Amino acid sequence: MQETPILDSDGAAPVLRVDSLTRDYPGVRAVDTVSFDIAPGTVHCLVGENGAGKSTLVKMLTGALEPTSGTMQVLGRDYAPANPQEARDGGLATLFQELHVVEELTVQENLTLGMEQSRFGFLVSSDLDRRVVETLKAIEPSIDPKARVSALSVAQKQIVEIARAASSGASIIIMDEPTAALSEREVERLFGVIRRLKASGVTVIYISHKLDEIFQLGDMVTVLRDGKHIATQPLSEVDGRSELIEMMIGRTVFQTYEPRTAVTDEVMLSAEGLSNRLLKDVSFAIRKGEIVGFYGLIGAGKTEIARAIFGADRVSGEIRFKGAPVAASPKKALAAGIALVPEERRTQGLFTSLSIRENIPVMNLRNMSEAGLYRSGLERDAADDYVRRLNIATSSIDKHTEKLSGGNQQKVVFAKCLFSEADLLLLDEPTRGVDVGAKTEIYDIIRDLADAGKAVAVFSSELEEVLGICDRVFLLFDGAVQEEITNGPDVDIAHILNVVTGGQGAVQ
Amino acid sequence: MSDIQTSTHAQTGLLPKVGAFLRDYYIYFVLVAVVLLLSTANLDKFDLFERGNFLNKNNIINILRVSAPILVIAGAFTMLMISGYIDLSVGSAMSLSAVVYALLAINGVPFLLAFVLTVVVGIGLGAINGFLVVRLKITPVIATLITLSLYKGVALLLVEDGVSAIKSGGGLKMPGWFNGYGRSGIFLGLPAAFWVAIAVTIAFVVIQRRGVLGKHAAATGGNPTAAKLSGINTGRVVFLLYILVGVTAALAGIARSSFMSLGDPLSGDGMELTAILVVLLGGTAFSGGEGRVLRSFVGALIIMALTVGMLTLVPAYYQTLVIGAALLAAAASNHVITRKGRAE
Repeated sequence: MQETPILDSDGAAPVLRVDSLTRDYPGVRAVDTVSFDIAPGTVHCLVGENGAGKSTLVKMLTGALEPTSGTMQVLGRDYAPANPQEARDGGLATLFQELHVVEELTVQENLTLGMEQSRFGFLVSSDLDRRVVETLKAIEPSIDPKARVSALSVAQKQIVEIARAASSGASIIIMDEPTAALSEREVERLFGVIRRLKASGVTVIYISHKLDEIFQLGDMVTVLRDGKHIATQPLSEVDGRSELIEMMIGRTVFQTYEPRTAVTDEVMLSAEGLSNRLLKDVSFAIRKGEIVGFYGLIGAGKTEIARAIFGADRVSGEIRFKGAPVAASPKKALAAGIALVPEERRTQGLFTSLSIRENIPVMNLRNMSEAGLYRSGLERDAADDYVRRLNIATSSIDKHTEKLSGGNQQKVVFAKCLFSEADLLLLDEPTRGVDVGAKTEIYDIIRDLADAGKAVAVFSSELEEVLGICDRVFLLFDGAVQEEITNGPDVDIAHILNVVTGGQGAVQ
Repeated sequence: MSDIQTSTHAQTGLLPKVGAFLRDYYIYFVLVAVVLLLSTANLDKFDLFERGNFLNKNNIINILRVSAPILVIAGAFTMLMISGYIDLSVGSAMSLSAVVYALLAINGVPFLLAFVLTVVVGIGLGAINGFLVVRLKITPVIATLITLSLYKGVALLLVEDGVSAIKSGGGLKMPGWFNGYGRSGIFLGLPAAFWVAIAVTIAFVVIQRRGVLGKHAAATGGNPTAAKLSGINTGRVVFLLYILVGVTAALAGIARSSFMSLGDPLSGDGMELTAILVVLLGGTAFSGGEGRVLRSFVGALIIMALTVGMLTLVPAYYQTLVIGAALLAAAASNHVITRKGRAE
């Protein structure tokens, strides 16, 4: 713990100092002794691949997560927020990816929420009202402060949040992927606001996957990789996207992919020109015995493609499964032999209050009954069988699934889908929140399934994952397939990262 | 990339405007319709009501007099529901307050002291609900279902064996002032209990529109996470609202007890349903976030006019069924209208 803030080379005390910050999760060290300083009045970018530790770091900064060890200082004072409110009191406001506005209140009421000036419990108009309205006008003059937030578009709501953070008097504003929902024109406007904030002495910590934005906006960049601090340096000293990408990926040794022999020529599923609000003319085919990857950053359209195939969302275009068109309904997709392992396993994939035994047959209860009566003996047999085959670590098949580890929960979801006798498995982020050991096992299961003649589509934002197991990979950006690559020893990782971050080679 | 354009244009269309207008004002049309409907009814002499046109001056005064309890509760109850919470114990709290008030009065406690003590009891009952919900984190429906039973149990225990309510007899006599509060006209022929309800409603309209509590209640019900991130102590907001509902339940108990000249431990039965009905009819979302105190007040007038109208026009056993049907209609129209009024 520093008694007096150490001055950096320019003589300005850092507005934020992170010192040996570490955060452990069971089996994983998400952030590993990270130290760096942020100078006041700068736009400081934070980059790294998925799983590099950015979000864990941000959670510690915002008080959502406690560090395992290490310290933080804001303006030379020790800073250890226990919750987001304390973070804000410490001068650090955050724009989260999810919107935190109250739809039922007006724009102005949202801007002053929690900071209302009152006399005897009744609101009085104050400088604050004038100030927030001015801030809003400077950012987006078209938004009426008296309008109800529920009548605004998503982008407008986000701008309200930005105006809120800007007018709350914070010395540091963290922006986590703020442009994800904004149009180009709005992005320009946001950048203008960020520059004005900077000029007024506010520090912005800017997190984005879009590297172009980082070069356009940032003064400094901090790169994280595998939870470790790689570099903090002025962006003017970074030699373009390629050097930044190199720092992000380093010499990561990817799990070696070995060409698989089970891939056939028989097309299991074909999609032609899928389009909806988020997808732009997406076409592809998945063959029997093949593992196909869809790789892209958050918001690139991965989940949307999975949901479209499964019939959960409406799309234009044509989807044919085993040569026949599929009706747009999850029930019919399931009946035809398509199963989806959803992204949010705890909320969408599992009945966490039920046991392993009760979870496995839910997608195919007909196989569990005879003459309309449920046979619990069959259920037990099936559960025993899958626990053994998928190596689910549990003391009993009667254990509630909420008590299992992430990896074992995921295996139960797999078992559920396998028991439904699906031929095409759609796996959305299949190893998110799963420890390393279980990851390897899940990859083995996926390969075994494909070898056994099923088709598997893996939707993932982890490059290591898709390059480790997939035979072919579709690179997604902005709701469109930018490129299809065949996996092999000579894949160009830097090129892939360039494409999915919207660089050259991407169809704009 | 024209998301903004499309959504703002949708706002300028005619249909959403009509929807928004309906959402804001339909309750007043319903009130007018009910009044028109009732004014066509003629009746023979029935209990308190006069022969002839249903809506004559004395009948209107009667309707408003018996409406005092629900009118006084509607404001606080609306605010609580806007914050996304509910109080099923409000009827039992009202019964218990009625019994306490009558007990105090019959034992010689003067009016003002009895009034204040009963209100203090209401604060206590509301605080218990708040404690169960906010501190012990019991689901609001369960917590207030528990206190519904508890408060009613205490009210029943306070009444001696063999009698149904606290009333004159056995050497004790209700003081002469007792039914003045709920019955004697002090202005426009209406009693103090009614004017207290009006004053309370005005207070809540102001609190909702201009008070910090009103904004914080809406934020708590609309987006609890955003509210917490904005530094709002949502637990304290909810606790305070439960106390306010407790206070208004006590005021309702006093009004009812005074009107009936006795402390009936069952006098608040069913008030929770009426309160929910009134608030829903006023267009407050069951999920919280939005609503208007004034519209609930109008909703209460409608329900009371209907209830009293039914009492005089159709057999009493239809009443519960019709209330249920009205609740269904309110819930359905609430759903349809709020959907239509809102842009995508």
